[in-house]
Amino acid sequence: MPTLKLQFKDTIIGEYPLEPGSSLTIGRRESNNVVIDNMAVSGTHAKVDVLEDGYLITDLKSKNGTFVNDKLISSHWLEKDDVVTIGKHKLLFTLAQGEAAPQSHEANSDKTMVLDTEEYRKMLDRTAPNITAKPQGQKEPMATLSFLAGGEGEFDISKKLTKIGKDPASDIVVGGFMMGKTAATISKRPTGYYLNYVEGMAKPKVNGKAIKDSVQLKEFDSIEIGSARMEFIMKE
Amino acid sequence: MIHIDSAGISDVGKKRQGNEDAFFLDDDMSLYLVADGMGGHLAGEVASNIVVNTISKSMPTYLTPGIIEQMTDMDETLSREANSLVASIRKANMLVYQQSQEDAECRGMGSTISGIYCTDSIVIAANVGDSPIYLIRNGEIELLSVTHTVEAEQTAIDPERAKMIDPKFHHMLTRAVGIEEDVNSDVCEMQCFKGDRIVLCSDGLSNFVPPQEIADIATNNTPESACRKFVDLANDRGGDDNITAIVLHINKVVIKKNLLINFFLKLLGR
Repeated sequence: MPTLKLQFKDTIIGEYPLEPGSSLTIGRRESNNVVIDNMAVSGTHAKVDVLEDGYLITDLKSKNGTFVNDKLISSHWLEKDDVVTIGKHKLLFTLAQGEAAPQSHEANSDKTMVLDTEEYRKMLDRTAPNITAKPQGQKEPMATLSFLAGGEGEFDISKKLTKIGKDPASDIVVGGFMMGKTAATISKRPTGYYLNYVEGMAKPKVNGKAIKDSVQLKEFDSIEIGSARMEFIMKE
Repeated sequence: MIHIDSAGISDVGKKRQGNEDAFFLDDDMSLYLVADGMGGHLAGEVASNIVVNTISKSMPTYLTPGIIEQMTDMDETLSREANSLVASIRKANMLVYQQSQEDAECRGMGSTISGIYCTDSIVIAANVGDSPIYLIRNGEIELLSVTHTVEAEQTAIDPERAKMIDPKFHHMLTRAVGIEEDVNSDVCEMQCFKGDRIVLCSDGLSNFVPPQEIADIATNNTPESACRKFVDLANDRGGDDNITAIVLHINKVVIKKNLLINFFLKLLGR
């Protein structure tokens, strides 16, 4: 049966057979089957399951990750001559003399991997120390409508969809006989802010031109809806 | 009210043993979902199916008046419908995460999710991961989803520095459903217009068919026909991954008009 040979620097310091139907745990704690006493190794770092269709190594959300052939893995089917790196130790997946190699699993190749937040930050620190992962609440400039007529002050566009119209429940209420209940909306899309015409006789105008359905807003565009006139600006 | 023609398709492709994608489509519910699962030992199939089943079952509950308002962390920048979709995704996340913790063979499993929900004339798009949602309007194609991969995120922050990252990390996801205890979706709410096309797909399609081609096929074919063409094209080009797509045609957008304005509009011949 195959074994895992534990190697530190150039010395093999242990050998662990992979019995059918067994599970081998690997980590710093003494309760593991394979104990690696090193600060870079988590208490319970990884495990190897001996399953019907192969030998599956799984990282157990360790701090420093588990690598197979220098590739960071979350889980991987061990193949002939694979080298597992945990901290500064290596585990060599070794077949017995004349033993057949385990079937290769296509799940090993092209597998999309997910980096959780901590792994992402660590990877960026390792690879390109000057880059920081985008924090979830990164400060973006705030899109704002500055009233030139028909209203006062400024309106920060915080919602994904802002409703403008006669309806008192609108985010920006604009009166007028020809005004639709919801005359227009401003939507925040990945590509930017868009002004959309919804209904009503009074079509919104951007820089003097009536819009047909949807128009992307650029900074300093002037918007006319009924009696209201506003300027679209980005505040830092 | 929006009238939509829709079709969906999922194909295992030519190189994979199983199909780890899942999709859900329901015109009455106005809900459309694509999920691309991942995880050793076909756990991906488990993950993606938990995701679409949970969201489709949770949406009606969250949409019931009064339910979503009771939640303490409702997002004020989103409509209640968008909040419902986000809450459903979070619930799916919790279920996938729990199962991955309890079941050894599901360890580390996860999924992307890309979803569309329509209300009145508004379309809500929400996503986690790298399955794209495209809007095609007047022949132009635009991404409504945000791509949660290392390459896409870092390129958006600083393209020069992004090039310094080892290519092996480029397509790794920075977010997925079921990997951590909670997940943040990216959401977009927008007006839709008659003639709009929306395509939700897994990257098994978008990695083989570039955006402009997707736009052309979606614009010039019925939803069913477009779906079949997408699968054939991706397979012709290698079929390396599972291929899933949903195509929506917005046929009609009916806004409850004010009677008086309606009268004037008719007078003016519009």
